[in-house]
Amino acid sequence: MTTILEHESGFWAGLNEDAFSGAAGGEEGVLRERRTQAFQAYRSLPLPTLRDEEWRRTDPGLFPFEAVSRLANLGEIPFPAASDLDDRFDVVIAVTDEGYAIRDNRDGKVCGLTVLPLREALRQYGDDLAACFDGPAVLERDRKFTQLNSAFWNVGFYIHVAKNTAVERGVLIRYEITGRNALVIPRLIVHAEAGSRARVTEYYQSPDGQAMMCIGAREMYVDQAAQLSLYAVQEWGNGAYQIAEDWARVGRDGQIDWVTLSLGSKISKMMMGCEVAEPNANAFMSGLFFANEKQHIDQRTLQKHAAPHTYSNLLYKGAVKDEGRSVYQGVIAAGKGAIKVDAYQMNKNLVLNPGARADSLPGLMIDADDLKCSHGSTMGNLSPLELFYLKSRGLSDVEARRMLVLAFFEEIIAKLDDEFLQERVRADVNRKIG
Amino acid sequence: MPTLETNSTLVRDEYKYGFSTDVPTESFEKGLNEEVIRAISAKKNEPEWMTEWRLKAFRRWLNMKEPQWADVSYPPIDYQDICYFSAPKLENNPEVDEELKRTFERLGVPMHERDRLAGVAVDAVFDSVSVGTTHKEMLAEKGIIFCSISEAIQEHPELVKKYLGTVVPQGDNFFAALNSAVFTDGSFCYIPKGVRCPVELSTYFRINAVDTGQFERTLIVCEDDAYVSYIEGCTAPSRDRNQLHAAVVELIALEGAEIKYSTVQNWYAGDEEGRGGIYNFVTKRGHCRGRKSKISWTQVEVGSAITWKYPSVVLEGDDSVGEFYSVAFTNRKMQADTGTKMVHVGRNTKSTIVSKGISAGRSRNSYRGLVQILPGADNARNHTQCDSMLIGDTCTANTYPVIECENSTAITEHEATTSKISEEQMFYITSRGIDEESATSLIVNGFCKEVFKELPMEFSVEAVKLLELKLEHSVG
Repeated sequence: MTTILEHESGFWAGLNEDAFSGAAGGEEGVLRERRTQAFQAYRSLPLPTLRDEEWRRTDPGLFPFEAVSRLANLGEIPFPAASDLDDRFDVVIAVTDEGYAIRDNRDGKVCGLTVLPLREALRQYGDDLAACFDGPAVLERDRKFTQLNSAFWNVGFYIHVAKNTAVERGVLIRYEITGRNALVIPRLIVHAEAGSRARVTEYYQSPDGQAMMCIGAREMYVDQAAQLSLYAVQEWGNGAYQIAEDWARVGRDGQIDWVTLSLGSKISKMMMGCEVAEPNANAFMSGLFFANEKQHIDQRTLQKHAAPHTYSNLLYKGAVKDEGRSVYQGVIAAGKGAIKVDAYQMNKNLVLNPGARADSLPGLMIDADDLKCSHGSTMGNLSPLELFYLKSRGLSDVEARRMLVLAFFEEIIAKLDDEFLQERVRADVNRKIG
Repeated sequence: MPTLETNSTLVRDEYKYGFSTDVPTESFEKGLNEEVIRAISAKKNEPEWMTEWRLKAFRRWLNMKEPQWADVSYPPIDYQDICYFSAPKLENNPEVDEELKRTFERLGVPMHERDRLAGVAVDAVFDSVSVGTTHKEMLAEKGIIFCSISEAIQEHPELVKKYLGTVVPQGDNFFAALNSAVFTDGSFCYIPKGVRCPVELSTYFRINAVDTGQFERTLIVCEDDAYVSYIEGCTAPSRDRNQLHAAVVELIALEGAEIKYSTVQNWYAGDEEGRGGIYNFVTKRGHCRGRKSKISWTQVEVGSAITWKYPSVVLEGDDSVGEFYSVAFTNRKMQADTGTKMVHVGRNTKSTIVSKGISAGRSRNSYRGLVQILPGADNARNHTQCDSMLIGDTCTANTYPVIECENSTAITEHEATTSKISEEQMFYITSRGIDEESATSLIVNGFCKEVFKELPMEFSVEAVKLLELKLEHSVG
């Protein structure tokens, strides 16, 4: 498969010099600089192949890189049809294949929150952008798709939360891509300054049966004693291909609540890396994934402990049904000197019928001694005993199964601090149980 | 294996097995090519099919690459700089015979039939050849065959032909292919239908010569409803050059059969600076072919500069059971990348993995495991527990498990922890007047207890002592 990808020019999806000049056209300052650096790195890095441990279970050749074409840099458009989600947030960003629009619901009541397209941010927050774009959060630089995103992003936003401000309703970014072989490359940078509190929600949708690809990258910076919640609800249609490489860095006394819900897409390959970088930093990473029909969802997480007295707790729960397949790879890495660390990683899987497959690869890489790191992984079907109990109370088999699967996921769904979103996710899960 | 008395004297020094024996030996020139393989085969007076089998493996090996994925690092091995055959000159030389006997006595291996008290039958392998097997007559009465693999090729070619290479094929991996081409000795055990082997069978491997590689090949076959407990021990002299040990062990359990395979691996591990020591690159695999068969691996790994070893079980027969109990201890600059594979093929198959890693000094200790539930493995069940203990802040402990589940009726559980010796436990024990070193030893023994209790009794005692001894210079 790889031979198709690494054809002579070394580029696919038309991502060559010309595309680069097009992407960087009219851009200046740090954005242009980063694009140029990333383009060099991107060119020098080989495409991952099945021989790379991380891609062994998801053939890069399955991504139709040749069939999609990168959308030109998206510009501003009038706000498209409103969604029932919109009123629940302070600021709403809508992204379609035509462009993006930003709606501000605040009426001047919430201050401290700035939401800007990257090019705008360059003018107003140039110094901060220089520190946060391809900044220290990106723990692994030799990644083809992180570099691809930095070089070729076609829509990007910067969210800044000022020191000691609390933003209750936060920001919603919703992507509604109609498909048509579009390649969307979104970039997001979030910077929560010291003592601030904020919430960012992302929502991805595309119609079923429409081919498209999304190669996203996010960088999140949580400064001293700041708290950031990040919810990503992925409801791509069944023709969508997704690659996402996301990075977060949590400073002293800071906390991140990072919830990733992967429900849609045909093939999805995600990397979520979080560094608890300073003492007393805390990371909660949660994930829900449900692959049915022929879906393939592959996710890798990294909990990096670089300082003493840092904490992380990860819980990823998934289900596979029909011919669905899921892969979970997780690593807890504790470097030299990362003592008094407490890290936990748990992956639980439901394999709902024959023909479905789940792989679990939890991992520990420990270079320090005075710490406590552990992981767990389970696989199995619904408990026959529990099913029997529910059915003996008059529930049908389907109802009983539905209830148990929902109960299994409730632990993750409950982490979303928004009842409306919770209901949306429950409805998604319900639909997939069938 | 060794009795309690012989051992207590042996384990007093840090690596008491580090001596070498001065006997006249016959060694091949260094290097590896088809001629060398033909020569090994001729030396052992092997039939044509065996020579061809070796050559086939060699040709495959030539096209294979040394695996790089393990979490170990070592300078490239020059396979042409190894001597592939070395044997003490035995013929009509009673003095040499006595010298070898003394060597094994010194190692605590009872080579005289009179040592029946030990309750084990021993096959002793010195460099490339088996130098003696005890209790053969008694075993033969029951129809049990226990001899060196070379002898089996001569005496029982039909059995060897039937089973050799059926669990670990010639081209399985780089080291297995190398072993298939140049293997020199090892044990062959065959337990016929319905027989429960009355004594423990044991092989003691000793590397003596310099610059020699040891390529052991062990094949154990248990027919329907048979049972055997097999023990393996390994030591080598302290030398400042690395030596290669690439073994292949194949276990086959037919319907209702049970094989229990225990190892205490104490190859020379190198000195403080990591000079010398054995590279222990081993392929061990069991195949539960029949219904209700069981294969159990228990290993205590305390030696070797580098260990690369994944005793595995393919659970093909319905209701078959696979077990893996392991203690891997590393200190100084030792590197261990070890674990297991449990491949569930048949229905109602069960596997248990208990792995305990202890790292000290500047060592690296990794657990790497695979639990694979194939689509037909209805009601398969796996429970895995791997715990790592760190002693000191310059060592590394990694855990890389893989769980693949393709059956919706299977249940797997995996749990792993990494931590240092609990300060509370230390405080409690030392507050009772016990010194720090003994306290550490007690806690570590408790940590490994689940594995030690799976070992045959004498062996278990030896393992505890061995670990205590290895810990002596790692604490404080």
